[in-house]
Amino acid sequence: MPPRAVPDRVAIERGSKPLFQRALLRRTGVRFGGERSSALTVLAAPDLAAPPVSRIARAIRVTAGLRGAGGLLLILAVLAVFAVRAPSFLDPANLGLILSQSAVLGILSLGLTLVLITGGTDVIAGGIDLSLAGTLGLSAAVFAGLNQAGFGDPACAAAALGTGLAVGLVNAGAILLLRIPPLLATLAVMNICAGLELVVTENSTIPAASPLIDALGGTGPLDIPVLGYLLLALALGLAALLRVTPLGLRAEAVGGHPAAARAAGIATGRYVAGSYIASGLLGGVAGIVSVAFLNGATGGSSEMLLPVVATAFLGFMVSRRFVPTITGTLLATLFLGSLTNGFQLLHVSTYWVNGIEGALILAVVGAGRVRGRAA
Amino acid sequence: MSRAQARPSRSISAAELLRFGLPAMLALVLAVFSALAPGFLTVANVTGVLVNSVALNAIVALAMTLAVASGGTDLSVGTAVDLGGLAFIAAVSAGQPVALAVFFGLLAGIGTGLFNALLIARLGVTPFLATLGTLFIGHSLQQLATDGGNPVYVPAGRITPALALIGHGSCLGIPLSLWLVLLLSTGIGLLLTRTRFGREVLAVGIQAPAALYSGLPVRRILALISIASGTIAALAGILLSAHVNAYVPYAGNAYLLDSIGAAFIGTALSRTGRANVPGTLLGVALFGFMTNGLLLIGWNFYWQQVGTGVLILLTLILAFAGRERVG
Repeated sequence: MPPRAVPDRVAIERGSKPLFQRALLRRTGVRFGGERSSALTVLAAPDLAAPPVSRIARAIRVTAGLRGAGGLLLILAVLAVFAVRAPSFLDPANLGLILSQSAVLGILSLGLTLVLITGGTDVIAGGIDLSLAGTLGLSAAVFAGLNQAGFGDPACAAAALGTGLAVGLVNAGAILLLRIPPLLATLAVMNICAGLELVVTENSTIPAASPLIDALGGTGPLDIPVLGYLLLALALGLAALLRVTPLGLRAEAVGGHPAAARAAGIATGRYVAGSYIASGLLGGVAGIVSVAFLNGATGGSSEMLLPVVATAFLGFMVSRRFVPTITGTLLATLFLGSLTNGFQLLHVSTYWVNGIEGALILAVVGAGRVRGRAA
Repeated sequence: MSRAQARPSRSISAAELLRFGLPAMLALVLAVFSALAPGFLTVANVTGVLVNSVALNAIVALAMTLAVASGGTDLSVGTAVDLGGLAFIAAVSAGQPVALAVFFGLLAGIGTGLFNALLIARLGVTPFLATLGTLFIGHSLQQLATDGGNPVYVPAGRITPALALIGHGSCLGIPLSLWLVLLLSTGIGLLLTRTRFGREVLAVGIQAPAALYSGLPVRRILALISIASGTIAALAGILLSAHVNAYVPYAGNAYLLDSIGAAFIGTALSRTGRANVPGTLLGVALFGFMTNGLLLIGWNFYWQQVGTGVLILLTLILAFAGRERVG
């Protein structure tokens, strides 16, 4: 059997084989993609991997810009359709409803986003926190359980946040100290959380009532629920933290290329641990929020697992470089919330929402892939 | 691995230990529970666990093993289980012959796999996200087909002997589902370890770019694996719905996390770090016997789940502590 021609790495990644081959040939006198070429030749001359012509670079930049805006445009277009077809969609009360209905999903997705930024988006080798939904359920159960036992708000809230913190610490320890892959470690922790939640609630709803819950469940200025403000405040706070301080850039470096980040002097382990701990804490916050939203701890938190993953990944579409961002996740959350809400207003069956969500993820990821910056 | 080879004298023993990590863990679980619960290590109980919990989990986990072997994760195995069951039960309820219904069920699994294959091999979407999308779309499809998630029961008149045979049949005293596990695990095990195609799948799984440079048809391999995974999962769906004479929406998702756990634990605890059929089967058995053992020593359902989680975490800790010493 004759040896097959070995395709060359750069040309494959750029997707414009002939053009790029000619450019390489011109610059190096080596014919890439021919029978004698190999990945090694390209890797041995890494400077060649940069796009040679500014025209290509400009074209990439323009399409990238469009696509970054494309996600936003798509969101705005859908919202516009809802606003025209169902005028009540834009009522402050309805917008507030969307915000408060999205709060739990949004806060959990923010946690996962932190893990994805710091751990990298390769699901198997990179960061993932499957325990978030379990943390939500457990901390909600802890809050409501202590509330029923007569403890005050500070104790309940501290215990709920402490639960989240503990889950985050266990995850971080399992991943960093024991070197268990995040997918497996957080999967096991998720099982433990779900079990403990059942132990606490005995599989029944625990009602809860307290000044804190009343305050969180109320409405703030502009008729917008406090939970909505909480979601926005958390997202904006995290976004500011990652944008203004060096933390964000370093976390991104750790996620993008751990070895390079370590070589640059970043304590990668601390960042990874921090992301899981922050994610656990956000899970605890989401637990309190869900108690406030539902006036108690109800089961079924495990149903949140996949929507959280989907929302965090859907957030990529707003980002120009197709990476996880806090603002992207927030927009994706609000978009999904509006989708469900708008469908209800238009009397379209909400059975379609999941399918549209799935198709959107695929469209977004597919579009990113075509541009060569795949997830 | 490489460092293990560099220091052969001490590390080989650790590597050998690791190789027996999963069987040892299973043996330990069996020993502890049989000491604590007299009814644990009886023929009736072990058969019960194998038939009721291990068999279907094993089939789905084998589908997952194929996906993991090729370097991916198939989050839509549960969807294929559900759609397979839905197509099968719909055909049976419509009065079609059972053989044709099985064909329709398999077709639904092939369709799910084809959709994934299109996304993964044609559009280059990473398997995790592609199958996540499929999972959500499958959820919608089931909601639309069942008006929001109502189970579909086979009308009493349509429960034929052939249907009962698939759901409850046995051969030589061993239920059909276990025969299928035996058949599939032998087939997939041989495929992965003894055939050229299997080596190619593992090569793609270990390093897809290197496999591509070596001239392997990576896209075709990924597509075939996706289709095979969907088809095998649909088989589990057919067996499940034939067993209960009904299709219950989203029931398949219950298998998703267990199959991921089993396939990845099997992979992590293997000496080579590759997905392998014995590892997956041991993982599934470990989960099944842990749950059953905790039940028999009198833990209630809630604590069982905590216990299972803790035991899985302990297994992982032991496994990766061993790996540290090796690596």
